[in-house]
Amino acid sequence: MTTGLYVHLPFCASKCSYCDFYSVPGRLDLVDAYVRALLKEVRQYAGLPFTTLYLGGGTPSLIGPDGLRKLMKGLRRTANVSALQEATLEVNPESASAEFFQAALDNGFGRVSIGVQTMVDTELRSVGRAHTALQGAEAVMRASALGFSSISVDLIAGLPGQNQQSLRRSLDGLLSLHIDHLSLYCLSLEPGTPLADQPPANLPSENKQADMFQMARDMLAAAGFEHYEISNFARSGHQCVHNLNYWRGGDYAGLGASASSHLQGRRYKNLSDLQAYMRRPAAAIESSEELGAGTKAAEEAMLRLRLIQEGLDVGDLAARFGHDRIQCLSDRLSSLARENALIFDGTSYRLHPSRVLTSNPILAAVLEEA
Amino acid sequence: MTNNRRNFCIIAHIDHGKSTLADRILELSGLVGVNGSEQVLDGMELERERGITIKSSPIRIPYRAANGEEYILNLIDTPGHVDFNYEVSRSLRACEGAILLVDATQGVQAQTVANAYRAIDAGLEIIPVINKIDMPAAMIDDCCLQFDDILGIAVDAALTISAKKGTGVPELLEDIITKVPPPQGNQDAPLKSLIFDSQYDPYRGVIMHVRVFSGSIKAGDRIMLKSNGKTYEVEEVGYFGLRLMPCEILAAGEVGYVSAMVRTVADINVGDTIVSPDLPQTEAISGFRRSQPVVFCGLYPTDSNDYVKLRVALEKLQLNDSSIVFEKESSAALGNGFRVGFLGMLHMDITLERLRREYEQELIATLPSVVYKVTTTKGQMLHIDNPSKFPTPQEIEHIEEPMVRAHLMTPTEFVGPCMELAKSKRGIMIAMEHPDQRRTLFTFDFPLAEIIVDFHDRLKSTTKGYASMDYEMAAYHAADLVKVDILINGDPVDALSYVCVRQGAPARGRALIAKLRELIPRQQFRVPLQAAIGGNIVAREDIPAIRKDVLAKCYGGDVTRKRKLLEKQKEGKKRMKMVGSVEVPQEAFFSLLKVDQ
Ligand SMILES: Nc1nc2c(ncn2[C@@H]2O[C@H](COP(=O)(O)OP(=O)(O)OP(=O)(O)O)[C@@H](O)[C@H]2O)c(=O)[nH]1
Ligand code: SF4
Ligand SMILES: [Mg+2]
Repeated sequence: MTTGLYVHLPFCASKCSYCDFYSVPGRLDLVDAYVRALLKEVRQYAGLPFTTLYLGGGTPSLIGPDGLRKLMKGLRRTANVSALQEATLEVNPESASAEFFQAALDNGFGRVSIGVQTMVDTELRSVGRAHTALQGAEAVMRASALGFSSISVDLIAGLPGQNQQSLRRSLDGLLSLHIDHLSLYCLSLEPGTPLADQPPANLPSENKQADMFQMARDMLAAAGFEHYEISNFARSGHQCVHNLNYWRGGDYAGLGASASSHLQGRRYKNLSDLQAYMRRPAAAIESSEELGAGTKAAEEAMLRLRLIQEGLDVGDLAARFGHDRIQCLSDRLSSLARENALIFDGTSYRLHPSRVLTSNPILAAVLEEA
Repeated sequence: MTNNRRNFCIIAHIDHGKSTLADRILELSGLVGVNGSEQVLDGMELERERGITIKSSPIRIPYRAANGEEYILNLIDTPGHVDFNYEVSRSLRACEGAILLVDATQGVQAQTVANAYRAIDAGLEIIPVINKIDMPAAMIDDCCLQFDDILGIAVDAALTISAKKGTGVPELLEDIITKVPPPQGNQDAPLKSLIFDSQYDPYRGVIMHVRVFSGSIKAGDRIMLKSNGKTYEVEEVGYFGLRLMPCEILAAGEVGYVSAMVRTVADINVGDTIVSPDLPQTEAISGFRRSQPVVFCGLYPTDSNDYVKLRVALEKLQLNDSSIVFEKESSAALGNGFRVGFLGMLHMDITLERLRREYEQELIATLPSVVYKVTTTKGQMLHIDNPSKFPTPQEIEHIEEPMVRAHLMTPTEFVGPCMELAKSKRGIMIAMEHPDQRRTLFTFDFPLAEIIVDFHDRLKSTTKGYASMDYEMAAYHAADLVKVDILINGDPVDALSYVCVRQGAPARGRALIAKLRELIPRQQFRVPLQAAIGGNIVAREDIPAIRKDVLAKCYGGDVTRKRKLLEKQKEGKKRMKMVGSVEVPQEAFFSLLKVDQ
C-alpha cells in the first residue's frame, strides 16, 4: 500500500503570468508561521505510515535550508515518514542554491524536480519567470553534482514566441545534462490569469503546440525516455512513485493551503487562503466529497488511463469494486474501444496512441454516469 | 334574430393590417379598452413575437349601429402567410362576407388576389378596403384601380381607413351591416353544422368551433359526426368572447363553440358536419378539404432517452394544431424519432420553435422533404416522404414530384429577374398578364421542392421586396431526380440524404459538403465527408483532426478539479449528436437548407 504525503509551500519570488496554482509572491516573512501550521495539521495523521513525500508549490526552495530543516524535523517527529520509498522536492532555478540542495539531501530527499520550463531567455521573460535559462542549467548541474538519485525537470510547450526549433534547442540542452525524468506540459490559458486576460499575439496555436509536443515526445523516446503518463517521461526506474499513486487512485494526505487529500474514499481540499489556513490548519477545508463506489471506480479508471503504458486492468478493478458496480463503466470502456479511442489487450485498456494528445473527451466519456 | 347577425372575416396579403383592424373593431365595440392595444387576437406567444397571425381567431362583438339597432358581429381574423391559406379557407366557410384589406403603400399583392378569389368562390360578399392611408406613401387611387383591373371588383368609392389610427373604421362597420347579408338558415330544420376549427382544453377535451347552418345546438343535445358516425352529448355551447363565453343555444346562422367531452382528438375532423343522431341521413356540408401536409422532416430528440417525451409533446401540440401529422420513424444515425408533416416551411419553423419552447425539448430536425411518388421496376407505386427511404437507382422506374401553381405579382421592371429566378427553380411559365401598366402577374408551375426553402427570400431580394407570391398545390409531375447520400467518416448518414435534380446534383453535393465541413467541429481524428449518388462519390472534403486538448499540469492531487473540468467539457457536448464516432452539432442537420446551389 502506498500512501503519499504532499506538502504545499505557497511562496514564490514573483507570480508567473500563466500560473493559477495557489501561491503568493513575497511574504517570506510568513514562512516560519506557515511551517508551524503545517506541523499542526499533520498531527491528525500521526501513526499513518507514509510511503512517499512530495514538497511542491509554489516554490519550496524559497523556504531556504533552515526552513526545510525545521519542516523536516517537525515532520519526522509528528508523522510516520520513517519508511519513505521516495521523497521529492520541487525547486525553482532562482533559489536552487547548493546549500539548499545539501539540506535537502541531508533530510532524505533523493529526488528533485526543477522548474526549468524552457532554455530560452525570451520565452522565460515572456511569462514572467523569475530566472534565466543559465540558472536553469546550473540548477540541474548542481543537483547532479551533489548526487541526487533522480533529477526531473519541468518543460512547457506553447510559450509565447516558442516554436519547434526553440523547443528542440531547450531539449537538446537539457538532454546533454544529466536528467532522469521530464514533465512536459502544454501551456494553457487559465481564466483569471494575466496571460489569459491579455494573450500575446505570438502565442503558438493549439496545432503548433501539438506539433511541438509530438516533436518533444519523439526526441525523448530517442533519448531513452519512456512516455509513461500523458505529460510525463522517465528513464527506466525513474518514474515518480508519488505521482503514480495519484494516477492509480491511491490514498494521500495533502498539507498546506490549497492542498488536496484523498483518504479512505473521501476527497477534500484545503482553503486556498494562507491566513485562513494558518489560523486553523486542520479545519481550513474548502470542499470535501465522499465518493460512492461507482464514482470512485470511474474516477480511478479515468486516472489510470493517463498511464499510457500501464493502462487500466479491468479484472483488477472488478475484483476491488465488484463486477456489478463497474458494469456500466466497462460497457463504456468497451464501446470506446470499438471507436478506437482505447485499445484493449484482453486484460487492460490503454489510450490509443493517436489519442494521447486529445484524451480529454475520452476521459470525459469514461467518467460519464450511466 | 339572425337578421341582426353578421358573420365576416378579414382577409389580405400578409402584414396588410388585418389584426390591427380587428383591434380597432374590438375597441369600438367596447370589448377591449382604447389603449392602443396591439393585435389582441394574436394570442400565441409566437404570434406576438413574430408579428404575424398563425391561427384564425373568431370573436363575437356586440355593435349598436347608426340606425339604433343592436347587432352581433362574428369576426374572424385570418393569417396572411401562404402556409396558412388553409386557415383562411375554412374561416371563409363560416362567413357571409369578407373585408378585403389592401395596404395602400403596397397595393394589391399576390395573396390579395388569391384570398379574394377564395372568398369569391365561397360566395362571400366582398368589401374592399384600403388601409394604412395615414402613411405618406399611400397610393389610394392606384389601389382603387387595382381592385378593378386585377380583381375585377368595381369600386366607385372604396373605403379608406387607417387601422392603426382608427380612421374610417366606424364607417366600415356601418358598411358591414348594410352590405354583408345576414346568415340564412332555418332554426327549425334538421341540425347541420360545420366544424371549421378545434382547440384542446385539458379539462374539457376537444372544443369544436362551429358554424350552424340549420337547426340549433344546446347543452344536453345529442349530436353525431357525419364522417364517423360517433355520437356525443353536448356539455356546453357558447360563443367566442375574449374567452369562451357559454350561452344557451347556438342557432342557425351562428358561430360558436361546442364542447362535448371529446377525449379522442382523432375523432374530430375539421371540415366534418355535425348532425342529429335522430336524422343521420342529413347531408354533409360539401366542398371542405382537409389540410394536407406537404413538407416533411424527421424530428429526433437529442438525447435518445427523450423519445417518449417527444411523442407526448407532439401529441399535445397536435391537439391544438390538427394540421400536423406524425408517425414514428427511426434513423440509423439518429435513433428513434418521428417523421412530421407540415403545411409549409413557416409552419415547420413555428412548430419546431413551439416544441422547443413550450415543451422544452431539445430537437434535431432533418432536412425537409416533399412527398415523392416513386414507381418501381416491379410496378409498385411508393409515396416517399423521407429521402433515405428511396429505392436504389436500379429499382426505380420513374419518379414524380409534387408541383404547385404559383401566382407571382411583380412591378414590371423586375420581370427579367423574376423569370431568371423562376427558371433556376425549374419553373414553367403558364401565363403572364399585365393587369395594369406597372404590374405583371405571372402564373408558374414549380416543383414544390424548389420553392419551399429559400424561394420567397430570393424573390424578395431580387425585386427589392416588391414582388409577392401565393401558391396552391397542383398535380404531380415526372422529374429526373436522384437521391444524394452524405457519408461522414465513411458511413452514410441517412438523416442527411436528400433528393435533387440529376443535373445539378454533383455541384450541390460539393456545396453541401463544404457547408458541413464548416459546421462539424474538428474531431480527434481526420473525418472524411463525402457526397455519393448511387454509390458514386461526387464530392469529398476532409475535416482535419484537432491536434490537442489541454495537457496542463496536473494540480498536485486535485483530482476533483480534473474531474469537474472533464464533466464541464461534457456539458458543452450535449448539443452534439454522435454519428458513429463523430460529433455533429444539431444545426448541421438543418442548416444544410441554406446551401446555395
Ligand atoms: N401606419 C400604419 N401601419 C399599420 C396600419 N395597419 C397596420 N399597420 C402595421 O402593419 C403591420 C402589420 O399589421 P398586422 O395587423 O399584424 O397585419 P396582419 O395583416 O394581421 O399580418 P399577418 O397576420 O401576419 O398576415 C404592423 O406593424 C401594424 O402596426 C395602418 O393603418 N397604418
Ligand atoms: S513559480 Fe510556479 S507556482 Fe510560482 S508563480 Fe511561477 S508557476 Fe506559479
Ligand atoms: Mg394578423
